[in-house]
Amino acid sequence: MRRIIAQARKELTQVFRDRLTLALALLLPLVLLALLGKAISLSVTNIPVVVQDLDRTPSSRRYIETLQASLTFRVAPLPLSTQPPEALERNEAYVAIVIPPQFERSLQRDRETEVQWLVDATDANTANIMRATSVALTQDFLTRMNLMAGVQPAIRAEIRFWYNPGRESEKHIGTGAFAVMLALFPPLLAALATSREDEQKTILQVYVSSISAQEYLLGKALAFMCVAIAEWVLLLASAIPLFGLRFAGTPAPLFLSTMAYLFCSVSFGLLVGTLIRNQAAAIQATQTVAFLLSFLLSGFIFPIANIPTSVRWISHLVPARYYIEVTRDAFLRGGGWAAVWHVPVMLALLGSLFFLIAWLRMRRMQMDV
Amino acid sequence: MRKTLQDFTNQRLWALFMKELQQIRRNRRLVISLIVPPTLLVFLFGFALNPQVRNLRLGVVDDSHTPESRELVSAFFESGVFQVESYYTSSDALSRALDAGDLDAGLIVPSNFAKRLARGEAVDVQLFVDAVDSNKATIAGGYASRIIAALSDRLTQASPLTVSIKRAQPPRARSAVPRVALFYNPGLRSDWFIIPGMLGVLLILNGSLVAAATMVREKEAGTVEQLLMTPAESLEIITAKIAPLFLLLSLDIWLVLSIGYFVFGIPVRGSLLLLFATGLLCTLAGIGIGTLIATFTKTQQQAQLMGFFVNPPLSLLSGAMTPVEAMPQWLRPLTNLNPVRHFAIIARSIMFKGVGFETLYPHIFALLGITLVLISFSVWRFRKQL
Repeated sequence: MRRIIAQARKELTQVFRDRLTLALALLLPLVLLALLGKAISLSVTNIPVVVQDLDRTPSSRRYIETLQASLTFRVAPLPLSTQPPEALERNEAYVAIVIPPQFERSLQRDRETEVQWLVDATDANTANIMRATSVALTQDFLTRMNLMAGVQPAIRAEIRFWYNPGRESEKHIGTGAFAVMLALFPPLLAALATSREDEQKTILQVYVSSISAQEYLLGKALAFMCVAIAEWVLLLASAIPLFGLRFAGTPAPLFLSTMAYLFCSVSFGLLVGTLIRNQAAAIQATQTVAFLLSFLLSGFIFPIANIPTSVRWISHLVPARYYIEVTRDAFLRGGGWAAVWHVPVMLALLGSLFFLIAWLRMRRMQMDV
Repeated sequence: MRKTLQDFTNQRLWALFMKELQQIRRNRRLVISLIVPPTLLVFLFGFALNPQVRNLRLGVVDDSHTPESRELVSAFFESGVFQVESYYTSSDALSRALDAGDLDAGLIVPSNFAKRLARGEAVDVQLFVDAVDSNKATIAGGYASRIIAALSDRLTQASPLTVSIKRAQPPRARSAVPRVALFYNPGLRSDWFIIPGMLGVLLILNGSLVAAATMVREKEAGTVEQLLMTPAESLEIITAKIAPLFLLLSLDIWLVLSIGYFVFGIPVRGSLLLLFATGLLCTLAGIGIGTLIATFTKTQQQAQLMGFFVNPPLSLLSGAMTPVEAMPQWLRPLTNLNPVRHFAIIARSIMFKGVGFETLYPHIFALLGITLVLISFSVWRFRKQL
């Protein structure tokens, strides 16, 4: 035990001496958290849209006003001389809307008339939203024109959005980014510290000392757990005001899962550090594996159910996947223990697995010498 | 006399160029990092980043237990967007399941559903959507209201089998309808959006990482002094360092394009040559960023860490993965300084819209400008340090 603590103290001293790395480990996650939370979103606003009005009547102007009133669009007129698809080609607009001649007359005569929406579908998700918006706005227009009177739908849908009534994207992305940051920086520090010993051959001093492989690794894990907890506190303190989060239920599952998750992260770093003996390569490996998998296969941006089954099984090995469940539960859903009891268990298992592999590897190295 | 001098310089440049090329070839890690990360990234991003909303888990509380209510539930099921996960006896049980994250949406059909329909009265059904994922919730809500509206229309048009509703007025349904035509990507494939964007991200990311590693290596190993002892000029040293990297990285363009074409079926409808040429500009911008990083660091490890400061903002604020229109208003102008942003627009326009220089020139010139500034500034700094 004394040796473990001594090892941990030595690691912490080294961490505090390396200012560049320390600054990176503590400040960069905060910057990235803000950046990810604010910049990654799929709810588009202020989309450039051009309208070609072939009718030029009060009704067609009313239609354009309806478009302008929605926050989604920034409407500009398209001169009659230009073909609507050209505006899409020149990236001037995402949607070109053509109001047909005789628009008003058809409306007055109860004939069905078509407004053309030419949508640039390069971005499939935005195109999908545009398609839904086209229906909603046209309905809106008809209501405003009092053309819907008399026709009442037989079934009225009363849709309630739970847990995130404002449907704020940053609450979804922010809680995920929180987990991704913790999947990246603690392992990075741990991996660097472990592979550095190999690169600078200080590992030989460890071999000749009386410390055992498990004590050596536990000491390192302890030290980087401390750093990781500090990082977690910083991240939490900035995420809560930044994304307007608050605890929805009991925070106990979050705290327990956090400990398990940070242990997972640090053990993964130790694992990378013992496998790769070169610091630059260790950085690249952590970046590629930890960041990429946590970014893509954890349900951070898009649901896991959308990943093809051939790749989806990997997500079960990605700790961030479980931790994101807990953060979203703690801050948004509030399901409590009943909903997330499996998370700390899975994280502890994964963490132990990473630690075990690192230990086996380390023990072998010690016997080599 | 001048001619021989020129020959001499060229030979010297050539020798330096060959030296760099051999060093790169011997550096297995570098070669791996030219091939593996791009392939991995394109595959993972293409497959995993899929915002399509399908198979939403729907929980149902059916207090009505009538053919009409079953028809409503099956309308949800038949849409292909919702799948009925299970039935609950009370709305409490339903909301517990939503709390636990077992459901994406919950539908509550009131007990007087069929009765009110039969009387021709409007009836409310409640739908709860888990809005933690706001994008999914918006799309799910849209689908649900369309499903209910369609069923509602069918019922008002009084099919005699289910319900008979007498209406004074003949249904004067929507008298204006939008007719949506989807251009360029009618299949609405999200991988088509992601992969051209990833091409730009990769060229910058890989370019900067590899360039920083090669540029800083000689500083780290102390062999820079040996190079300076040779008659080669500093500009020649830098050119000889950049040129082989440039050549190798340009292969990445073809690598990504062929994965896109053969695996994801992404077409190149416009000029392949223009796409390649702008890709080269993007690569050069990446090398410029890498060289700049190398001038601020002393070891490869530091250079890698610096990459962390630079690359995530570049790739996130580019519109390569998520639309720029979804970013906050104040951030959007900043993206114009980002080479990836311009390249993503250029690549998508050439690949899907088939347009050429005449429409893309503002972005091409912007990319050219950014690249020139980056490369000349970084080379100037690097030369000063030599």
